[in-house]
Amino acid sequence: MTALLSAEGITKSFGATRVIEGIALSIAPGEPVGLFGPNGSGKTTLVNILSGLLFPDAGTVRFEGKEITRLPIDARYRLGVARTFQIPHPYPALSVHEALRVALAADPGNRSAGEGARGDEEGAIEDLLSRTGLFNQRLVPCALLSQGCLRRLEFARAFACRPKLLILDEVFSALSALDEKELLDLLLAANRDDGTAFLLVSHNPPLLKSLCRRILVLEEGRIVRERRV
Amino acid sequence: MLPSFRGGWPAAGIGLLLLFPLSSPDAFFLDVFTTGFLLAAFAASWDVVGGIAGQVTLGHALPFGAAAYACALLTSLAGWPLPLAVAAAILLAAAVGAGVGTLSAPLSGPFVALLTLALGEIAHEAAAGNTFFSGPGGYAWGGEGGIPVALPWQDAPPFASYYVALCFLCLASFAMLRFSRSGAGLILRAVAGSPITAQASGVPIARFKRLAFTVGSAFAGATGAGFAIHVGRATATDLSLELSFQAATFAAVGGRGTIVGPVVAALVLHVLFQGLSLPPAARVLLYALTLMVTLRFFPGGVVGTVREAAWRVRWKNGTGSFRRRGRGRPGEGGS
Repeated sequence: MTALLSAEGITKSFGATRVIEGIALSIAPGEPVGLFGPNGSGKTTLVNILSGLLFPDAGTVRFEGKEITRLPIDARYRLGVARTFQIPHPYPALSVHEALRVALAADPGNRSAGEGARGDEEGAIEDLLSRTGLFNQRLVPCALLSQGCLRRLEFARAFACRPKLLILDEVFSALSALDEKELLDLLLAANRDDGTAFLLVSHNPPLLKSLCRRILVLEEGRIVRERRV
Repeated sequence: MLPSFRGGWPAAGIGLLLLFPLSSPDAFFLDVFTTGFLLAAFAASWDVVGGIAGQVTLGHALPFGAAAYACALLTSLAGWPLPLAVAAAILLAAAVGAGVGTLSAPLSGPFVALLTLALGEIAHEAAAGNTFFSGPGGYAWGGEGGIPVALPWQDAPPFASYYVALCFLCLASFAMLRFSRSGAGLILRAVAGSPITAQASGVPIARFKRLAFTVGSAFAGATGAGFAIHVGRATATDLSLELSFQAATFAAVGGRGTIVGPVVAALVLHVLFQGLSLPPAARVLLYALTLMVTLRFFPGGVVGTVREAAWRVRWKNGTGSFRRRGRGRPGEGGS
């Protein structure tokens, strides 16, 4: 089977410091994969390269067989590679509803269809709000959201592009038990019902074991182990 | 109950301004108001770039002055009819804006301000220090004296300029408000709020930054051409850093990202300070003091602060509801 996302020989340095070196990995369609590693092992750098926020010094990234090594993050989002951030960066002046309108505007179908697509856009936003439990906060400015609601908004934003691959960076850290359970259910439902693959970065091995079929262990910028669950 | 900026307030303000010439003011005050209308439109155009899109530019006089010079050169030197020259000047200003937007797209924060400041100053120095053309009768055109605009009329009555400028301000402000509330405006506010999240939401932010510069510069160009027609010539002052600072000050005082705020602030401050007939140095001092007081006590600007207060009152009374398609938290750049 063709890998949904594959990377070969990924190397990245910042100045004289080589952060990751020669990383190779692949994720199959619908596959839940975990990424585990100590602080400073290069997890976030790898995630940034896979999502298009950074470009590698060497190596290639492919998505559905097409090389996307130098494709920026916005273009990857439109292809169906969505990511969430460890620390959400909300739009302070926009409401939750408006933030989702921005994410949906990235869909060329929504943007070009104009007023005719208005109903569809509203329907899609309401669906995202309902799925992520943000319906009652839809008109609240993002600046006033709690940490849990910001993480839910990150999920809603990521789901807006109907992703084939979700890249989740420490998305379950510092959450209440209720928020964590509901977001876990949401992620599992997306994986089960829509076949959404995900790469979950976490410091929590039990969580990774419960969610992922495969766990990659990153140490000092290299994948040192791969464990099947 | 706090006043709403929707509804009758703008209509009442426009009504008063329409009636003002009927009180037989002297030509000086009509001229002060006419210049005030043009400055207000210019401040609103800065707000499209610096407020809505969050790209703080200190070179907004560049498209303003470029359009003023284009209008002067095309009418005086090339003999173009005035409407055609104005249209070409606006297109030139938009192209200048697109160029500046392209150059500044990879930059953020103070680097955008520095780049635009540098570009504006290059143009200003070039215009101030050179006499490019030799006009009829052996006159040297350009330099500090500027270039005259060939107008198809002579000595237009002051109230005519007043009404034309007021009409232009209303139409331009309405168009910029519509733009700020469109889908593109929403995306620009997202880019201003968090470029990284906007990018991770599929927004090609470089393209949208360029759009903001292009649209804002087109309106600045229309204002610049209008100003050149009003004073009868394009001068190096039209490209000056002082003009860019003035627009940024009006936006900060009125409320960045609100369009209405900069318009009101520009009009009130310009008319007030000009009306007092103060020497230029004192006016600059007053502008600086106004800016400092605003930034210290009303960081969201006047309109932003009023909106914030209204929002708090509604929220405290349990009647708080955010407008469905509406703006974000008052004072934080929503329009």
